[in-house]
Amino acid sequence: MKRFLFGLAAMLLAGMAGSASAQTMSYAEAGALIAKNCGPSIEKFCAKANLGTGEVRNCLMAHQDQVPQQCFDDYAAARASIAKRIAAQGDAWNVCNANIRQACAGVQPGDANILNCLIDASKVIRPACKSILVDAGWWQ
Amino acid sequence: MTRITRFVGGLALAAALAAPLAGAATAQTADSDAQIMQGLSQATMFDPSLTAQVLRQMAQDAVTQNQPLTLDKSEIAKRLDKLAQITVQIQFALGSDIIRPQSYATLGSIADAMHHPILANYKFIVVGNTDTTGTRAFNLKLSQERANAIVQALVVVFGISPDRLEAVGLGQEALQVPSKPQDPINRRVQIFTIGTVGPMGKPVPTSAP
Repeated sequence: MKRFLFGLAAMLLAGMAGSASAQTMSYAEAGALIAKNCGPSIEKFCAKANLGTGEVRNCLMAHQDQVPQQCFDDYAAARASIAKRIAAQGDAWNVCNANIRQACAGVQPGDANILNCLIDASKVIRPACKSILVDAGWWQ
Repeated sequence: MTRITRFVGGLALAAALAAPLAGAATAQTADSDAQIMQGLSQATMFDPSLTAQVLRQMAQDAVTQNQPLTLDKSEIAKRLDKLAQITVQIQFALGSDIIRPQSYATLGSIADAMHHPILANYKFIVVGNTDTTGTRAFNLKLSQERANAIVQALVVVFGISPDRLEAVGLGQEALQVPSKPQDPINRRVQIFTIGTVGPMGKPVPTSAP
């Protein structure tokens, strides 16, 4: 039983951290990607711009000729992935509703109980449900 | 939260995790996704009277009256210690609330944990702290601005609902290591799990035959 729980925990945590099979990157990976190729430009040109205000992006655009194209590519990729993951996390329970009713009757929502139930029932989970849980970063 | 506590409790790294504020000098910074989740999901009980407003007022009163705030010995500190929490280092530009790019990934890690179904129904207080370099009043204001900046980034960039987050600046009033007030270790961000957003849902109904 302990080993089973350990495996489940490892799976969960790996899912949170993102994985090669996920269609979206984790939020941490997205943040790291922006920092990697935009960080030097942000520190150089946008020292008074804060994340979450739109200032960083506007500032980078204003210095477009001095900022590497890789920064804009990575910034766009990170933002797109974040948006996709947020959408998947918001839609997951609706998309999985039929599976939840079928496989998780009686399960008390909260504390990831429903997610754990779906992962336990992986063999009967519809592809659309599994796919959105992968995009949400909750299923490896 | 008992289930995740069991899950994570089985991990070897659990041994490396300090109990919440086990002692100022030994408090650890949460560096990994697992540590963030572990710290924030350890809640066994909440303290409804411990609100962002109470904490802000407490720090403000101490600064206004120029009284030392012995938070490490206070009743409120003891109550805070009981909450599920993490301490993270976020790098800011000197004397400002600008989050440096090297900390974007840390913000993302916090968002990963908060968005996960384990924590999805919980609310948090983001607390900013400084060391004693500079004046108390400036530090109080700066730490509030920094906590605000973190909340703003979590909400706007990473899509955390603003209903789940409150920002509190405690300035230099809650030093992690009171014996070394100017030590940079005191500059830190704490996140406390303070309650639930709404009642937990009802059990999934059994499918009609």
